[in-house]
Amino acid sequence: MSTPTREDQQQAQETLAYIRQTMESAASFTAVSGWGLVGVGTAGFLAAAASSRLGGVANLRVWIPTATFAIALSMVANAWKARKLDVALWSGSFRKVVWVMAPMLAAGALLTYGLFRAGQTALLPATWLLLYGAGVTAGGTLSVRAIRSMGVVLLLLGAAALFRPIYGAVLLAAGFGAVHVIFGIVLVQRHGG
Amino acid sequence: MAVSVAPEELDRLIHERMRLGIVSALAANDTLAFGDLKEILKTSDGNLSVHARKLEDAGYIKVTKGFEDRRPKTEYRLTTKGRRALEGYLAQMEQILGAAREALERS
Repeated sequence: MSTPTREDQQQAQETLAYIRQTMESAASFTAVSGWGLVGVGTAGFLAAAASSRLGGVANLRVWIPTATFAIALSMVANAWKARKLDVALWSGSFRKVVWVMAPMLAAGALLTYGLFRAGQTALLPATWLLLYGAGVTAGGTLSVRAIRSMGVVLLLLGAAALFRPIYGAVLLAAGFGAVHVIFGIVLVQRHGG
Repeated sequence: MAVSVAPEELDRLIHERMRLGIVSALAANDTLAFGDLKEILKTSDGNLSVHARKLEDAGYIKVTKGFEDRRPKTEYRLTTKGRRALEGYLAQMEQILGAAREALERS
C-alpha cells in the first residue's frame, strides 16, 4: 500500500489517454460505410444516365441534387456504422477526414460555378473527379487502404476526363457510379456494412 | 491510507506501449488485418510481428492466417483473456489516479 507519486499519476493519465486515442483511431479507421458507398454509386449511375438523356455531359440540374443527396446519404450511413461499432462519430479520425474533404468539396463547388459561367462545362467531369479523387486519397490516409486505392482510381479517371473530355459522361458514370459500388462492396466484405 | 498499484503488480505484457496499442486497437474492432493494425499504430512490420507474437503466446490475441485474392492475409482478434487483461490494466490505472486524487484531497 502506498501513495502514488506525481510521476505515477502522470504516467497513468498518459496511458489512459493513449488507450482512448488508439481505440478511437482503430474504431473510426474501419467506420467508413461500405453500404453508403454502394448507395452513392447507385445514385451516381442514375445521375450519369439522366444527365446523358437530358443533354450535356454534366447537367447541373441533375448533378447538384445528386451531390447533395450523396453527401447526406454518406453522413447517415457513416453515422449508422459508427453507432454499430460504438464509436463517437465526431471523434479523432472522422473529424480529420471531414477537414481534409471539406476544402476539396468547397473548391469543387466554386470551380463548378466559375466553369459554368465561363461556358467551359466540358471541363466539369475532370474537375469533379480530380478534386474528389484528391480529397478521397488524402482522407484515405486515415482509413483502410481500399479508400486510398479508390481515391487513386478517381484521380486517374479525372486525368482521363481532362485529356479526353469527349468521354466525360462515361468517366463520370465510372467514377461516381462503378468505382463507388465496387469499393463499397469490398468494404462490406472486408470490414462489415 | 490510499491504495496504489506497485509497479511490479502491473501486467508487464501489456504495459509495454506497442503491445498496449495492439490490445487497445483490437478491443475496438472484431478483427484487424496486419496491414491495418500496422497503420493504426504507425509501426514497422518487424516491430508489430514481434509484439503480436508475444501477445499470441500469452493467449491475449488469436492470429488467423489465410489468403485473400491469392495473397496471404493475417488477421488478429482479441481473446477473452486479452480483453480481461486490458480491463484489469485499465482498472489499475484508474486506481492509481483515484489514490492520487484522495491524497490530494487530504493534503
